[in-house]
Amino acid sequence: MRLLEVKNLKKVYKTRFGGNAVEALRNVSFSVEEGEYVAIMGESGSGKTTLLNILAALDKPTSGTVLLEGKDLSGIKETRLAEFRRDHLGFVFQEFNLLDTFTLEDNIYLPLVLAGKSYREMNEALAPVAEKLGITELLKKYPYEVSGGQKQRAAVARALVTGPRIILADEPTGALDSKSSDELLSLFRRINASGQTVLMVTHSVKAASTASRVLFIRDGEVFHQLYKGENTAEQFYQKISDTLTLLAQGGEA
Amino acid sequence: MKKAFYPRLAADGIRKNRQLYLPYLLSCTGTVLMWYIMQSLSVSPLLKEIEGGATLFVILPLGKWVIAVFAVLFLFYTNSFLVRRRYREFGLYSVLGMSRGGIGRIILWESLISSGISLAAGLVLGILLSKLAELGLLNMIRAEISYRFTFSAQSAVSCLILFGAIFALLAVKSLIQVCRSNPLELLRSENVGEKPPKANWVFALAGAILLGTAYWMSVSIQNPITALNYFFIAVLLVIAATYLLFMSGSVALCRLLQKNKKYYYQKHHFVSVSNMAYRMKRNGAGLASVCILATMVLVMISSTSSLYFGSEDALNSQYPRDTQFTVQLKDLDTALDGSGIARLHEDLAAVAAEYQLEPQNQTAYTFAEIFGQLDGSSLNPDYTSVFAADFNRIRQLVFVGADEYNRVTGADAHPAAGEALVYPYRCDYAHDTLSVSGLTLKIAGRAERFISIPDAGENIAPVLILVVQSLEELRPLASARIGNGTAIMLLKHSFSYDSPADRELTGKVFVRQRDMIFQTHYLRNGGVALSLSAGCKPLERDEFLSMYGGLFFLGIVLSVLFIFAAAVIIYYKQVSEGYEDQKRFTVMRNVGMTKKDIRKTINSQIVTVFFAPLFFAGLHLAFAFPVLWKLLTLFNLNSLSFVLIVTAAAFVLFSVFYALIYKATAHSYYDLVSSSDGKAA
Repeated sequence: MRLLEVKNLKKVYKTRFGGNAVEALRNVSFSVEEGEYVAIMGESGSGKTTLLNILAALDKPTSGTVLLEGKDLSGIKETRLAEFRRDHLGFVFQEFNLLDTFTLEDNIYLPLVLAGKSYREMNEALAPVAEKLGITELLKKYPYEVSGGQKQRAAVARALVTGPRIILADEPTGALDSKSSDELLSLFRRINASGQTVLMVTHSVKAASTASRVLFIRDGEVFHQLYKGENTAEQFYQKISDTLTLLAQGGEA
Repeated sequence: MKKAFYPRLAADGIRKNRQLYLPYLLSCTGTVLMWYIMQSLSVSPLLKEIEGGATLFVILPLGKWVIAVFAVLFLFYTNSFLVRRRYREFGLYSVLGMSRGGIGRIILWESLISSGISLAAGLVLGILLSKLAELGLLNMIRAEISYRFTFSAQSAVSCLILFGAIFALLAVKSLIQVCRSNPLELLRSENVGEKPPKANWVFALAGAILLGTAYWMSVSIQNPITALNYFFIAVLLVIAATYLLFMSGSVALCRLLQKNKKYYYQKHHFVSVSNMAYRMKRNGAGLASVCILATMVLVMISSTSSLYFGSEDALNSQYPRDTQFTVQLKDLDTALDGSGIARLHEDLAAVAAEYQLEPQNQTAYTFAEIFGQLDGSSLNPDYTSVFAADFNRIRQLVFVGADEYNRVTGADAHPAAGEALVYPYRCDYAHDTLSVSGLTLKIAGRAERFISIPDAGENIAPVLILVVQSLEELRPLASARIGNGTAIMLLKHSFSYDSPADRELTGKVFVRQRDMIFQTHYLRNGGVALSLSAGCKPLERDEFLSMYGGLFFLGIVLSVLFIFAAAVIIYYKQVSEGYEDQKRFTVMRNVGMTKKDIRKTINSQIVTVFFAPLFFAGLHLAFAFPVLWKLLTLFNLNSLSFVLIVTAAAFVLFSVFYALIYKATAHSYYDLVSSSDGKAA
């Protein structure tokens, strides 16, 4: 079943006085199936972040449509968008985006509290997630007291706790050391294995190689895509790496 | 490198940080302006010419120094805020290779430019506004208004020197503040992870106890003199308690709320309560300062305006008639004999006649007066022990013969021998007898009418007026003395009248009569009087107006300054909060908080944070009121409802000002927070 469908997405940024127009996305179309783990790669400035912001309904496309479970995001009223994001999407950011005024536990509760859940419900939702991510012991700590990897795990827990249809991750390993990165990526794989759809934007080959499919974006267009298929992790890594080299040389795939 | 490099960089720094610099420049200009006004008034030739203006020249210099001390504290506070917010910028210069000397030069140039601007603006505005202030003051003390413009170069010079020195100190302080820290620290200074605030229960509890004690003192103190002694202690307690409660109590309260899971994990409490704990930890001191400034303004304005607007009442209660003499008589025989007193009256009438002045509402009577400490129904007249004793029990006994009492008041009182009728004033008396040094009188009942007591206005002790058959009954006390040889009973004759003439003639006659008593009726000159106390209402009115008008004026000036300071502190709080909350609210938006929720949360937070000081100031004022009222009775203000209304009006007026300040500054906060609204992480 198609969970997410992106059709002919175009985004043009205009400078304030209507001067130069910058085309961040030219014509992007792809779809994500339920239970897939998709990585989107591209160099800085290729439009990755713009794409993610549009998928997250934080930004509006100039033209084109985004369908989540067949529902058009642009059809949702501005006032309902926040609610929609909260109930259907989970976010993981490069900079964790944990609130330093909350304990990890309260950070994870935040979307649930906003949704008006009772403390008992929240507690029941948290326990299995915390268990799965191995942060049960850390829940009472504040962000400044734990490591980057632990912060990111808490952020993943916050994304998962609402039971979202899809997890959107923006460079989740960007601020982590290699050991924490590996741990986080294997975590993503496990989450995906349990049926959770994940869409990740990254420019780390290693991160992308854990996905089941990789989309390459260049100059605002989907330039190429690779399926992991029967490849081993090493083979897939090599393929991605080759494609990137090709991309950098400006050739055709 | 170009010559004007550093000055240009400094000017740029000021321009680019105008959001922070403008309030600072305003603070500097404001304090210079205020100080100059007070200084120029205190040397104003116009004010020197005013009759009864002597008290002004005590009050105005006092105000000048209060402003100077306050200016130092206040400017140091705003300046350190300014410098702290710019660490990042200086850090960047430093990383880009500017030496410490270079940064120092930028700071020096910035100080030079900002002090130049504020000194110039402050002085120019001060010179213009000082005339306005002078007119206001003249109008308040109802003196003749003159539009003559005076400029005191000496005031301008001393203002330049004083504030030049303050600004130099500020520059040195900023230099030390910036140059002590290393560049990386400067660059990172805004991103340090902050430890969660710990609730300090001991301090919170101490604050609550101190506040309770101060409030209890205020409510329980009955006597004005005691109030005067304890007022200062209560003020110190309240200040300490306010700081403790705002800094620790508020955090403790947030922690307590967080422990209540049902309350805490609700949409509208969750974010607010946890943010509030941090906010109060950072802003507790600032908010406590605002609260104390607000309380000071309220207390100052309500008391000085009560005094000013009630000054006519106070005057009338101290001087029931226009002109008033009270002579102390040699002894009981002189009082009973009456021939010496009759001669005095003739001479007084002769002086009045000489000026064709016809005295009206003449009142004259003789009385005996005893001070002492009342224990049950027995009065102990020993002064030396009284001052070491309980102020609440001091009484002034005033004995009047029945004939004189009936003549003066028109009553019909006939106490038998050994009996007295009592009229308690500012107190009550419930015993059947009253004894003084072995003499015991039976209290036969109440005297119906008050007889105005000449010096009761100045004495604040409660009075028992005792109507006896004749002063002859006090014979046993006539020669009684206390340990140091003073007679316990004083015999006095009071004489007062209203004058139909104008202020000048009334005053002239009064002075002549007073001198005449000195010259011909004093004991050493063959008369009957040991001493004289005299007063003339039209002359005293000038003194009253100049003193209370001066105090009220000072109250207004200081209030303006304090309100201004509170506004600047609030503004800086809003700005620094805004910077820090920017990121926080972006995150909340990302995890699905609607704009409406964010606005609601912001609102409830700022409203709580910025109206808490007003609330506590109101509470402080309410509890200070009993003491204030007792102190005001010392100044002969007798209408409780009047003082209540004035105080309430002062509070309402202040709240309006405060709300306006809040509205103006909240704007800058919203702008900062919402400027990052559209962006994702």
